[in-house]
Amino acid sequence: MSLLATRNVTKRFGGLTAVNDVSISVEKGQIVGIIGPNGAGKTTLFNCIAGAFPPTTGEILLDGRIVSGKAPYEACGLGIARTFQVVKPFAQKSVLYNVMVGAFATTNSPAKARGQALEVIAFLQLDQKQEILAKSLTLPDRKRLELARALATRPKVLLLDEVMAGLRPSEVAEMIVLIGKIRDSGVTLLIVEHIMQAIMSLSDHIFVLNFGQLIAEGSPNQIANNEEVIKAYLGAAYAVNED
Amino acid sequence: MRTLLTHAPQNKLLLLAALLVAFGLPLVVTSPTYLQILILLFFYAYLTSSWNLVGGFAGVLPLGHSAFVALGAYTSTILYLQYGISPWIGMLVGGVVASTVGIIIGIPTLKLRGAYFALATIAFAEAIRVLIENTDQLGPFKVNGPRGLLINLAGNSFSAYQFTSKVPYYYIILILLLIVLGLTVLLMRSKIGYYLSAGGEDPEAAQSLGVNVAKYKLLAMALSCFFTALAGTFYAQLMLYFYPKSICGLDMSFEIAFIALIGGRGTILGPVLGALLLRPLNEMTRIYLSGTLPGLHLVIFGLVLILVMLYQPRGIQEPLTRLFRRLTGLNKTTVPPAPTKGTVPS
Repeated sequence: MSLLATRNVTKRFGGLTAVNDVSISVEKGQIVGIIGPNGAGKTTLFNCIAGAFPPTTGEILLDGRIVSGKAPYEACGLGIARTFQVVKPFAQKSVLYNVMVGAFATTNSPAKARGQALEVIAFLQLDQKQEILAKSLTLPDRKRLELARALATRPKVLLLDEVMAGLRPSEVAEMIVLIGKIRDSGVTLLIVEHIMQAIMSLSDHIFVLNFGQLIAEGSPNQIANNEEVIKAYLGAAYAVNED
Repeated sequence: MRTLLTHAPQNKLLLLAALLVAFGLPLVVTSPTYLQILILLFFYAYLTSSWNLVGGFAGVLPLGHSAFVALGAYTSTILYLQYGISPWIGMLVGGVVASTVGIIIGIPTLKLRGAYFALATIAFAEAIRVLIENTDQLGPFKVNGPRGLLINLAGNSFSAYQFTSKVPYYYIILILLLIVLGLTVLLMRSKIGYYLSAGGEDPEAAQSLGVNVAKYKLLAMALSCFFTALAGTFYAQLMLYFYPKSICGLDMSFEIAFIALIGGRGTILGPVLGALLLRPLNEMTRIYLSGTLPGLHLVIFGLVLILVMLYQPRGIQEPLTRLFRRLTGLNKTTVPPAPTKGTVPS
């Protein structure tokens, strides 16, 4: 049984169908990527999984249990953590404070939360900056903080919404290493990303969305050679008929 | 968030000194007039500290807290006048009534952001005031409309919460203030404090981290309303007479918010520092200018507020804390060495 699955998830906003009958599954320990052109419905699917809003129809399953329709804080309690495309640090608070908020998801004791937060901070190499206010961090560090906070909730699945957007190539490379480390620590990851270098090198499995529909899935290699995907990204003229 | 109340020895000394001065003042200040001024100073420090539980930490701006002062005052006074129940018990009943009302009001309004919540609380407080002003009898309870309630003199009686000297009132409000400050410190260092300020700063991010933002805001609201109502009973017993405008007016609601904003919203000492600055200002303008320019103190508050918001948007507690650190040489250690895993400054 897969750790996380969506079953025929559809999300409509009025007349607009942002996600249309999408079923994906994520196996434990994998890094699974979701790609697609702008407006394909990737973030909407994320929001459905993380509980930001319920799917119009369809179900979301974690460990075989239906979790759709739960509030975000409940989803977090069940083991689904997320980061935001536009980072949302608690700007007036220190890095440690930010991460402790996440750590309180699994404990009521400030001492324990602090201990857990410090572990995560060290793991993501933010330990030099733990007393700095989040508002004075650089963008790459804010992205790290976003990761640290989500990881501190000790999730089973971590949803990363474009954590590499806006990073320089060298920073992307660092982030790729970091995400690999997170997977190795036992967290399953579902990532939305536009940077192909990252998604291709990291993912075990990729789902491709276009106009809200799932148009392809497979290993990075299969996806790179998939005609539908090439059409969606580059237009029909570039699709080479291999027969 | 470090404030003056951390564990450096200088801070402990300062805290001890402040406590000694606070407890010793009535030995020096014997004039009832000045004692009354001090009592009202602590009264506002206490009210603002109670307000701070929701207005400071939960990231909303309640501008109708006088309604809860009134709920406290009316509850305990009606219980005393009509049923002979000691105001001490009435005070606690008033607290429970106010926090219940606070929760009922909070459920729909705490979802509102920014100015909309502030406006909703103003509307609520005004509605309560207008309701009381236009009713003599609220069910079985005699509220006496705009004439207000007069508490019969009982001489020096602890059980009637009445004293002929001002000194007991001074100590009562001082102890109430210390209780609410202690609670604030405890809350800020606990999970609740972290969750409250996270939810206040960015509700969406907080929710994604497992924070039930609505629940924690309601909890803060309930606590805040409870303690605010205790101040209502205190006011009633101190003045022995109150009427809707004196206890449920927007003047009082705004003054609480002014003190918090100028002192430092969301900090432990902000409300106390704000009251220390603004209350004497208020009394002075009232004493010297009330004949010619009534209401001038609110104008002055407004000016001070504008200046503070322009130059010290986080209140006067910030420069004062910095000054204190510099004087005691603590500024060198503003970033403490990382403690070992599992330890926490309790």
